[in-house]
Amino acid sequence: MKLAAHYNKASIIISVSVLLASGLVYYLTINHIARQQLDSDLSEEVGEVINYVNLNQRLPRSVEFDEDLTSFVKTNLTKYDTHFFDAPYANPKEKKIEQGRAVTALIKVKGENYIVTIIESRENTEYLIQIISAITLLLTAVLLTILIITNRYVLNGLWKPFYYILQQVKKFNIADTSRIDTIESRVDEFKELSDAVSKMSSRVTTDYQGLKTFTENASHEMMTPLAIITSKLDMLIQDEKLSSDQFAQITDIYSAAGRLSRLNQSLLLLVKIDNNLLRDTEDLDIKTVTLEKAQQFQEMIGNKNIELDMSLDSLQVNASKYLIDVLINNLFSNAIRHNHNGGRIKITLSGNQLCFQNSGDNKPLDENAIFERFYKSGSSDGTGLGLAIMKNICTFYHFEIKYQFREGMHCFLVAF
Amino acid sequence: MKLLIVEDEQGLRETIEKYFTEEGSICEVCGDLKTALKKIAVYEYDCILLDIGLPDGEGFAVLEYLKSSGKNECVLIISARNSLDDKIKGLNIGADDFITKPFHLAELKARLMAIFRRKTFGSSSTLDYNEISIDLLGRNVRVKGDALILTKKEYDMLLYFIANKGRVISKNAIAEHLWGDEMDMLDSFDFIYTHIKNLRKKLMELSGKDFFTTIYGVGYKFV
Repeated sequence: MKLAAHYNKASIIISVSVLLASGLVYYLTINHIARQQLDSDLSEEVGEVINYVNLNQRLPRSVEFDEDLTSFVKTNLTKYDTHFFDAPYANPKEKKIEQGRAVTALIKVKGENYIVTIIESRENTEYLIQIISAITLLLTAVLLTILIITNRYVLNGLWKPFYYILQQVKKFNIADTSRIDTIESRVDEFKELSDAVSKMSSRVTTDYQGLKTFTENASHEMMTPLAIITSKLDMLIQDEKLSSDQFAQITDIYSAAGRLSRLNQSLLLLVKIDNNLLRDTEDLDIKTVTLEKAQQFQEMIGNKNIELDMSLDSLQVNASKYLIDVLINNLFSNAIRHNHNGGRIKITLSGNQLCFQNSGDNKPLDENAIFERFYKSGSSDGTGLGLAIMKNICTFYHFEIKYQFREGMHCFLVAF
Repeated sequence: MKLLIVEDEQGLRETIEKYFTEEGSICEVCGDLKTALKKIAVYEYDCILLDIGLPDGEGFAVLEYLKSSGKNECVLIISARNSLDDKIKGLNIGADDFITKPFHLAELKARLMAIFRRKTFGSSSTLDYNEISIDLLGRNVRVKGDALILTKKEYDMLLYFIANKGRVISKNAIAEHLWGDEMDMLDSFDFIYTHIKNLRKKLMELSGKDFFTTIYGVGYKFV
């Protein structure tokens, strides 16, 4: 739920309950005051009756007391407390029963005791209360409407800078060079937030760029010493006076230097994919690329007596030729490298799915770890970056890559 | 062949110089852009090995100078950056080839010979080495006049060996030449063995001579 909605909810609940409570207090107070007013009216009436009796020494006729209903009942009681109570009032003019207030009191006329009951209509006070309630309700409704409208329009307007900042933060990509710009807002908090976010984003971007440049430069700087090692070795082996043992050691150094150079190149490739430096795309047919690669790897496949089984449909993809080459290359090289002599490789390309299946170890690989950088299964002699590179290429193009182990075959699925 | 090596890394520069000098070429060396431009202005070279990353500027300036002054030297760019942009830029302003560090000297030599041949004799040249005669355009090989049928890899290897004749070439260098970095597999050495065995046999059948010497486990020499 949005903040404005939360705020709306709270303010409406609070204002409705305050209004209802005040309405109730109003009602009770007015009721109370009206009743006291009625009671004092009735007391006056009783006083008038007593005055009348004292003056005229007879009971007044009912009609002489305005519209109040007055009745006299003879009683034997000598002592009677005057008391007030609610009673129905039969309006003689309109012939209907209304709510009323009554008083009973004891009067003496010529030595005889009477209980006088006077009932007065409460119609007027009821009417007053109704009007006050109506006004209260109307006020409540108006206030609520104003609150809702205020919340909707004014608050939304006020929060606009916040949503703008949020949008920018969501879109923020650390690899992009675009920064989050500051915005002008009349609200100090949003201005501060905007400044802070903008500063943070530019700092993060700068740091990240620095780190990337560092990685790239470090990898490049390593190439020159590697070139020196390789060329010195190339010179060294020209000396035929060296012993076979020394040559064997040189071969090992060659291999280590070669591995270091491949590792470096793989790291650079990862940096390049991460940095989106390979942006040249073209329309490629995955089938064509796969067939080309199959041709290239033919020798290796033949050497291991691997049975290659391909069923390929055409599939057009717009991507960097270099990266797709690397992807298919790594798929092939994995399938061959981790295969055993006389094994099988089955490649299917149908719909948008490319599937490389190969025989090999009878144990499934850890599908969560294999795409990690420098993950190596026990027998692997590669850089440990091949699968990470594949994963990165797929992520870069929003392809999906999955590993499965089924029917004794390791299966890499790429959904383009 | 007169060669200018523009490389700021002393160790590398000296090794390249030594490898090419022993071959009989005349090598001049320099370590920065200023000296390189001076030398080019004064002398004529057949080929220039040009490092892009020099202490006082990018090697592209040499290419621009050559282009603007109408000189026709072969230029092989050496770069520590395997960057497509650099490659395209270099080739666009007149470089003939591009090699990325680290490289094998044999590879450098073979590349240099290829661009030198292409530029000097055009594409219709014939390469002769003892009894072997190679028509570079038609990719036909004749030994003592008889046609020698080679596979693509064997043909590549023969050219590679002739460019580095008399030199020991490591198996690593051969593997990289034949398969590039894409084949980072240990058993590629087995393939080299097979290819060399076949090539050796084919050459021997026609010439009656063994051109290859095996140098312990490390590599081969073509004589």
